[in-house]
Amino acid sequence: MLVVLIISFAGMYLVGRGLETPPGGMSGTAIFAWLLGFFLLSFGIALVAVIGGIGGGVLFTPFMLAFTSVDSLIVRATGLIVAMFSGLVSTGPFMRGGLANLRICVFCAAAYGIGAFSGAQGAIFVAQNLGEAGEGFVRLALGLILLSLAIYFIVGGKKIEWPEVKHVDKFTKWLKMSQPYYEVSVKRVIDYPLTRAGWVLIAIIGVGLLSGFFGLGAGWAIVPAQNVIMAVPLKVAAANSGVLLGMGDCIGVWPYLLMGAIIPVFAAPWLVGQVLGGLLGALILIKVKAGFVRYLLIGFMFFACFGLLTKGLKLLGVMGEVPMWLNGLVFLTICVIVTVLIVRYIKAEARLGGE
Amino acid sequence: MQLSQRVYGEIVYWGTIVAAIICMIGPFISMKNPDKNVMNPFYLFAAIFEGKDTATIWQEVAGGFPGGHFYLDKFFYGDGFTQFGLAMGCSVAAWALIPAAFIYLFKEKNPTYTILCLWVTLLIILSMVGIVSSH
Repeated sequence: MLVVLIISFAGMYLVGRGLETPPGGMSGTAIFAWLLGFFLLSFGIALVAVIGGIGGGVLFTPFMLAFTSVDSLIVRATGLIVAMFSGLVSTGPFMRGGLANLRICVFCAAAYGIGAFSGAQGAIFVAQNLGEAGEGFVRLALGLILLSLAIYFIVGGKKIEWPEVKHVDKFTKWLKMSQPYYEVSVKRVIDYPLTRAGWVLIAIIGVGLLSGFFGLGAGWAIVPAQNVIMAVPLKVAAANSGVLLGMGDCIGVWPYLLMGAIIPVFAAPWLVGQVLGGLLGALILIKVKAGFVRYLLIGFMFFACFGLLTKGLKLLGVMGEVPMWLNGLVFLTICVIVTVLIVRYIKAEARLGGE
Repeated sequence: MQLSQRVYGEIVYWGTIVAAIICMIGPFISMKNPDKNVMNPFYLFAAIFEGKDTATIWQEVAGGFPGGHFYLDKFFYGDGFTQFGLAMGCSVAAWALIPAAFIYLFKEKNPTYTILCLWVTLLIILSMVGIVSSH
């Protein structure tokens, strides 16, 4: 895969240099530079996202909506591709290792797909009928979601590694979803009872709706939904979320593809970056402790949130263009806070290592 | 380890890899033969970054949107081949769920999950065909 990638980009560079540029068009070298830039950015996003334990779509969509002028439907459609492929590429290893549970995933995908499909249709409807106000509302809503997500990341949320099940309802029992797996940390096979499968369906439809509408990966919502409602062990829920995103977004992405919001040559490098970055990120995750990435992600979320809220308000006519110096100042402030937190984290880790 | 799970995982994994390889080769074909593209690559990125909506972009650089499955007619075009890779990746779960459904039915004797697998496959296929649409 890596060889094909290198040959392909080298070929594009050589071909691009020799292309004759038509009047008013972009030169071959510039086209090559854009494609390479998209790939590298996507690769970086996938790497950081996997190490930080979230999907690539959570970084891609807010960033592109906040800081570029690309049409929001194209961004959200490409964001869904990014989220979906980061899920698809993790499916193989999770299934092979037995950590993910196909029964839970198929059960949840039956509901998630309906939500994601409706969300995508809603996004197209809003884009075609609500004009600039719709674009503003989408950015505002996404900014607020991202803000709550960043706060949730700081606070930690209510997640339980091994949830305790006191009562298994008849429906969940009938589904026989539980599937024992080998837990490396305790070196034994673990079986887990599940409960409230019916309720999780309702929550997952809502999650799918969000994912399809905003073009976000929704692992951040799928994991707690499974863990808190259905009592799926945290590690299994995290593995399931990747598989479910890959499966469910196969339903949500087609409305975008069929109306032309996915532009093949634009989406392709983002997709390839997710696949390669996701694979490398998973390898790094196994070998190194990279808890500090979490602070990078939170910082990024706050900055993207600022961009989304200000751009949303501007599109709604509430405020004017944010001056560059203010964007820079916010970015710098966030950078300083993140650096301080990372330094403190590394020092604390070193102290623990020394003890 | 259940066979259904292993088969699903392997098909999705390799399908995704093949889709990604196609998406690496597609843009190269686009640049190698700029005339053999549905969308003119020389004007495409400028149109995207000017913030134009999808309909306008397709109109300006391709003379109109040819439909999501345009790769069937323009398979050897740069963007047609890339779109084929995208379509393959975006439907890989369906191709993996079909054998998983049969394994659930015949080997693991669990028809509930056969039905669920086929239901999700049906949703993907309906979504692919585009017969359910609000616009």
